[in-house]
Amino acid sequence: MHDVLIVEDSSTMRSLVVSSLEELGGDLKMTEAPSGFEALRLLPRRRFHLVVTDINMPDINGLELVSFIKGNPAYRDIPLLVISTEGSERDRTKALELGADAYLVKPFDPEALRIIARDLLDRAPRE
Amino acid sequence: MAARRKAPRARTKAAREFVSEVEEILERLRSDLADLADERARGALDPERTNRLFRSAHTLKGLSGMFGLDEVTQLAHHLEDILDGLRLGRLGPDAPALDLLDESVEWIASLLTQLGEAGALDAPPQGLQQLIDRIREKLEASPRPATSTSLAGLEESVLRALTEYEEHRLHENLRLGRCLLLVEQSFPMLAFEEGLAELTRAVRDAGEVISTLPAPGGSPEAEIRFSLLAASELDDPAARVRLEVPQAEVRVLREAAGGTPAAGASSAERSATPPPPSPAAPAELESLKSISDTVRVDIRKLDEVMNLVGELVIQRGALGALATRLRADPATARAGAELAGLHKHIDRKLQDLQAGVLEARMVPMRQVFEKLSRVVRRLRRDSGKEVKLEIRGGDTELDKLLVEELVDPLMHVVRNAFDHAIETPDERSAAGKPREGCIRLEAFQRGHHVVVRVSDDGRGIDTDAILARAIADGSVGTDAHLSRKEVLDLVFQPGLSTSAEVSATSGRGVGMDIVRENAAALGGSVGIESEPGAGTSISLTLPITLAIIQALAVRVGSQRFAVPLTSVLETLQISPAEIQHSQGRELLRLRGEPLWLRRVHAEFELPPPAPDANLAVVVVALGDARVGLLVDQLEEQQDAVIKPIQGPIGSVRGIAGATDLGARGTVLVMDVAALAEDTLRRREVA
Repeated sequence: MHDVLIVEDSSTMRSLVVSSLEELGGDLKMTEAPSGFEALRLLPRRRFHLVVTDINMPDINGLELVSFIKGNPAYRDIPLLVISTEGSERDRTKALELGADAYLVKPFDPEALRIIARDLLDRAPRE
Repeated sequence: MAARRKAPRARTKAAREFVSEVEEILERLRSDLADLADERARGALDPERTNRLFRSAHTLKGLSGMFGLDEVTQLAHHLEDILDGLRLGRLGPDAPALDLLDESVEWIASLLTQLGEAGALDAPPQGLQQLIDRIREKLEASPRPATSTSLAGLEESVLRALTEYEEHRLHENLRLGRCLLLVEQSFPMLAFEEGLAELTRAVRDAGEVISTLPAPGGSPEAEIRFSLLAASELDDPAARVRLEVPQAEVRVLREAAGGTPAAGASSAERSATPPPPSPAAPAELESLKSISDTVRVDIRKLDEVMNLVGELVIQRGALGALATRLRADPATARAGAELAGLHKHIDRKLQDLQAGVLEARMVPMRQVFEKLSRVVRRLRRDSGKEVKLEIRGGDTELDKLLVEELVDPLMHVVRNAFDHAIETPDERSAAGKPREGCIRLEAFQRGHHVVVRVSDDGRGIDTDAILARAIADGSVGTDAHLSRKEVLDLVFQPGLSTSAEVSATSGRGVGMDIVRENAAALGGSVGIESEPGAGTSISLTLPITLAIIQALAVRVGSQRFAVPLTSVLETLQISPAEIQHSQGRELLRLRGEPLWLRRVHAEFELPPPAPDANLAVVVVALGDARVGLLVDQLEEQQDAVIKPIQGPIGSVRGIAGATDLGARGTVLVMDVAALAEDTLRRREVA
């Protein structure tokens, strides 16, 4: 069983990520967080094996979330994928500098998302 | 262009959401643009608004990109460019820029309408390219100013996670010579929101919050520390924040540069005289302005009104009680009678008000049925099965929130019927049935409930296969004697079978446990009927609204609870001698049928009643099953508004929320579904 946390303020985009990942099969349990705060609330409540986050969000942005997860000994091992709309090169570089494990540009190819996610899930620490 | 538009099957849910989300975004864009024009006229732009506008355009671009709507994506991209220019101060908010924004939004709305109707654009729409050219010109004419402020001396940890926009706000504030602050405070990881909201409010009172950076606290698992980077024009903002939030650590990163900053303007345009009225929108765009006497209201606002009405309804009860007391005493009987008259009058008006607000929340089931019929049409196209869809009772109304929550479970049931229950045309011919299968969706009101039923004339459920499977996975003993109905009920058990093979042969689908769970979460239940060879019907029974409930107050020890009346089938008074025991569990014979009992006092660790005291049984329904909740005493029925509870008690299983029962104060509302489910599950274990 793998727990995936999807942080994205657009419900449509969340559904797209969920439906793309569902095709990976296996037993993926997907939890959706519509904001960065919601993600912060969920993190201590469950052991996640992958976090997928957007950058442009209200309350805290995706970079701040990456910084929190990768700067926290309790969560830093969770693989983290940033998905953001093409645009700011600088935000992308920052995400990777802050420790994001992978970066995908929207619009994304569902297959590309699956390949990256599978790879990251393989790296997720086992209990 | 249609050829490029692909619609993979996994995207259905997203495609549905796309339409409503884009509608919301367009509405938000329009309203923010109107406010932006007002702000410009007043000469003070709110950076938060331009950033929100940017984010809306950004989301729109991302979404339309995912759906291959190239024209929309392209235009949203240009819209985003202008807004990015505005929020980053590269572009002045002059009249031509605002016009371009308005026109772009209306163009996007119109393109989406055309795409929605025709599915594709035959030719690039006239005028679109001119608009894009004008945007390009505008952007080229506004070169990016070099950021001149130095960030030297600021800690790397503060700067690391700033987005480009936040960095821009930082530069902008420094350029204006504002004081830069870092305000930090730690909160418990599990409950940071309220404290953070308070801190943010205090800092906002002093200036602009540039970024909110979370970091692990002293104990990383238990604490979270937020660093707010803020800028302020005040003389001593640090003192002000310290005064408001003494627990926060406040540091001045950069003192304000001397002198009064220039009127807060980031571009020459802002201090200019108010703009001339913008030219009228082109004729072709005029028609897009929607003319309608319908107002869209955020459901949360209706919730608030509903809550208020609910509270009034409860207070009204107290008024009635007071009138009765006054009338009972000869000294005050007269005043009591007058009060009783008033009470009656208020009562009627309140009922009207309650009904009115409820009505505003109601939407016809047709909305869901239409979505479902689209799904069936698509399934029919993809599978080659011949299935007709019959819809009845589309006018039946249900609370908007319930309707939204219903879509997924119903979709599931309909898919199951289509995929597993309806046979192929050849199979149907062989069985002497019409080649074309039928799925019927119907909704009707029954008392305070709405029943939504999905029935099919397919193969019916093979109870032998279900039983064999349940025995194989150990959830039912080999010697169990289950009625057909009990076996059918196994369909709702979690994890009974997720194997497609079994579901295909048994005619039942997967995930019915989730359907039951969803229905229970809405205060409803699910029932199933099936005849081999003749078909299956699944009924969801739901309360009409979630907002106000009639509650039955019960007492257990010294504690009062409210039980939603919609879940109560009947109540009984019994003596302890009537309780029987079987398999280590307590039960009651009710009209010959066993009723499993649950002692509520044990559930919430309350003192047990005296051994010989009479007890009350609240019979509740979970789907088709019944459970008796044993309580000390029944009190009266009342109106109640369920409110969610925060904090540790909010997550106690068996508690759904809290409610205010007038003179009785706040009491806890039992989560009947959870208690009943646990009781039934224990029986299975036993």
